[in-house]
Amino acid sequence: MKNITTCCIIDDDPIFIYGTKRIMREINFAENIIVYNNGQEALDGLYALIKDEDSMPEIMFLDLNMPIMSGWEFLDEFKNYTSNNSKKTIIYIISSSVDPRDLERVKEYNEVTNYILKPITPYDLTNILDSTLV
Amino acid sequence: MKTLAVDFLLKETPIAIAIIDTKLNFINYSNQWQSDFTLDKTDLRGKFIFDVVIDTPILFKNTIKSCLANKKEYINSGQKFTLLDGKVKWLKWKISPWKNDNNILSGIMIFLEDITRDQKELELLHKAEEVARIGCWELDLQTNSVNWTKTTKDIHEVNEDYIINLEKGINFYKEGVHRHNISKLVNDAITKGTPFDTELIIVTAKGNEVWVRAKGEVESVNKIPVRLVGTFQDIDQRKKLELAHVDLLERLKITTQTTKIGIWEYNLITNELVWDNEMYNIFGISKKEFTGVFEAWSSTIHPADREKTLQATEDAINGKKDFDEEFRIKLQDGSIRYIKGLSKTIIDLNGKAVKMTGVNWDITELRSTELKLESSAKSFTKTFDNAAIGMALVSPELKWLKVNKSLTKSLGYTEKELLKMKTTDITYPEDLENSSSFKSKVFNGKKNNYQLQKRYFHKNGDIVHAVIGVTPVKDLDGKTTHAITQFLDITDRIRSEKKLKDLLKVTKSQNESLMNFAHIVSHNLRSHSTNLTMLTTFLTKEKKEEERLNIIRMIMNAAESLSETISHLNDVVQVKTTPLKNLQRINILKTIHGIEKSIKGLIEKEDATIKLSISSSHFASAVPAYLESIFLNILTNALKYRSKDRLPVIEVKSFLKEDNILITFSDNGQGIDLKRHGDKIFGMYKTFHEHKDAKGIGLFITKNQIESMGGSINIESVVDKGSTFFIELKQI
Repeated sequence: MKNITTCCIIDDDPIFIYGTKRIMREINFAENIIVYNNGQEALDGLYALIKDEDSMPEIMFLDLNMPIMSGWEFLDEFKNYTSNNSKKTIIYIISSSVDPRDLERVKEYNEVTNYILKPITPYDLTNILDSTLV
Repeated sequence: MKTLAVDFLLKETPIAIAIIDTKLNFINYSNQWQSDFTLDKTDLRGKFIFDVVIDTPILFKNTIKSCLANKKEYINSGQKFTLLDGKVKWLKWKISPWKNDNNILSGIMIFLEDITRDQKELELLHKAEEVARIGCWELDLQTNSVNWTKTTKDIHEVNEDYIINLEKGINFYKEGVHRHNISKLVNDAITKGTPFDTELIIVTAKGNEVWVRAKGEVESVNKIPVRLVGTFQDIDQRKKLELAHVDLLERLKITTQTTKIGIWEYNLITNELVWDNEMYNIFGISKKEFTGVFEAWSSTIHPADREKTLQATEDAINGKKDFDEEFRIKLQDGSIRYIKGLSKTIIDLNGKAVKMTGVNWDITELRSTELKLESSAKSFTKTFDNAAIGMALVSPELKWLKVNKSLTKSLGYTEKELLKMKTTDITYPEDLENSSSFKSKVFNGKKNNYQLQKRYFHKNGDIVHAVIGVTPVKDLDGKTTHAITQFLDITDRIRSEKKLKDLLKVTKSQNESLMNFAHIVSHNLRSHSTNLTMLTTFLTKEKKEEERLNIIRMIMNAAESLSETISHLNDVVQVKTTPLKNLQRINILKTIHGIEKSIKGLIEKEDATIKLSISSSHFASAVPAYLESIFLNILTNALKYRSKDRLPVIEVKSFLKEDNILITFSDNGQGIDLKRHGDKIFGMYKTFHEHKDAKGIGLFITKNQIESMGGSINIESVVDKGSTFFIELKQI
């Protein structure tokens, strides 16, 4: 089974990061996993990568509630970063929020492929892998 | 005898005759001569003619001499002489040479007649003819010749030597009906002997059309007409006046008919009253019923007006005052009409009133309109004065022209004060622009009504909210002279609306924060519980002891976080559910001192300076535990998010602000980007700094605590300069 070269997790919850990384390893989701703890960290980190197209993550898991810079703010900023980039990063929102207002708001962002409610399961990741590689 | 008889005849003849010899001495004369031409009453025989004859013109003397010399007869058939003394005399004479039997001139015979009197009459007649423009004409049927007098010729504008005949005369009449008529009349006169008297138009020799009156009489001999004579009068001016008069009368008739003006004439001597048709219409009486006496008219007058009207009539008859009255009449059907009457009394040469003439017209509609107007004006004034809403008349310059009680009550000014002001003097400044564009709409627009909501200042400085409805009032030229303004004071409504809005805002924000709270709770609880679920799943699968320990440690962390979150939620719920009943008057300064003491260690560790500028007399109405929690949170935040580049300085001040107390905390710390985070600074679980203890719950709880005590909290902040919190609480 093929996998993804690089994926990226942006979340401030260490337990979630631990769990997700563990599942990813179990199903051999990606070769590289980049972790950022908030939006600002992710922007800074990705900005460094953007010059080298190949090292940009193909899939991104983005939490919404984070200190310093929330997932929303990150999305607004990230739009500007990637406007000229031919390689689109697939973005999944991954959150504990069941607030319908959040779900509505996600629809306004075309960059976002789907909204996944925590916890993430091996089943979720397999589906993502399938749809990405087709 | 013969001579005697001749002498006698000569003497007694009623003609002035004188027989004189060649030496011009009287041989004989008639008595008439002596009485007419001499003053000498003695026998004239043998006397020289010019010694006794008075007042003869020179021509007379000369003629006598000529007669002697030429032996010829001289006849003067009538001539006018002006004598030396200026007297005018008309004389007629026949002077004949008198020959004896031998045919030798022996003297002359003089017939002399003074025709001055006749001639004067004739002259007067001619003059009268000229003045009256009456000429004469004559048609001799035997010779068929026509004679015109000078005036007749003048009227025809022909010369005096103009020769006229019947055909020419007829042809002077204007072609058509005029010529046709005169031909027929003259023909009838000639054939039947009927006289005529007609008025027709002639066209003069100079082409002018002139109205003339031609009158003809027939003279017959043996019943056969031999001569027509008549007069011919220029009646052009009279006729034209007459025609104009007829025209005028006709027009007057139309006018009086259409305007329904009745005309009457009252003969005071015969007590005869004559009405024109319109009068009958006005008084609703048929011509047959009307007796034509004054009493008939006076009986129609309404009893209430009769005395006044009859008095006015009497005054008019007596010449005191022309009749000019309004009175009511009662028609036969019982209806009442208002009549306006004017009259003129005509007085004869002796100053006696003989006739009255006047007009009457029906002014019922006018009166009833007037009455309606009056009553509507009255009811308007009543409405105006007693209206529950404010009412005013406002000039185009926006001056108050008239105001009612309600308005003075709403604005707090007396009527006198308002009338000296313009509406703009007490308009709320922000509404001036609207008012001005509204004004131009009202005074230049076409609509009948305009509305505007605006604010005024009450005399006591309060704002008065009003809805004004304005109706422009226009004069006959359509120019707006003033406006009627209705003023609905909605201050109370606005106030309660504002209260309601505030209440709604509070409710909404509480509702929102509750929603947020619910979601945050679910989010946080969920994240911890899912973590626990995930970790326990891993634990059951994990074989490696080392990794198992790691997972267990994480499970413990997650459990701890869960418990911490629950305790936070407990705090929040407590704030939200604590009713406002434990409020006490708390001294601000004392509370701050208490907090300072409790965090003395932290302050010293950060080497912070705390400056207090709080009056010991400042109190806040608060829950003691909340106030301590609030101050503690703000102060520890200031220390937690201090700048790494400078030592923390925190200033705490307090101010009195009406019923509230304002406490400010200013620090020189990291500050917060309010543009980015302003909306969620007091939100739950919002953190903005990378700080290990940042939980995003402190300010959330602080805000909730302050609001639960009826206060408010705000922040001003500049990144890397510092933040100031403004906390407002009630004093009592």
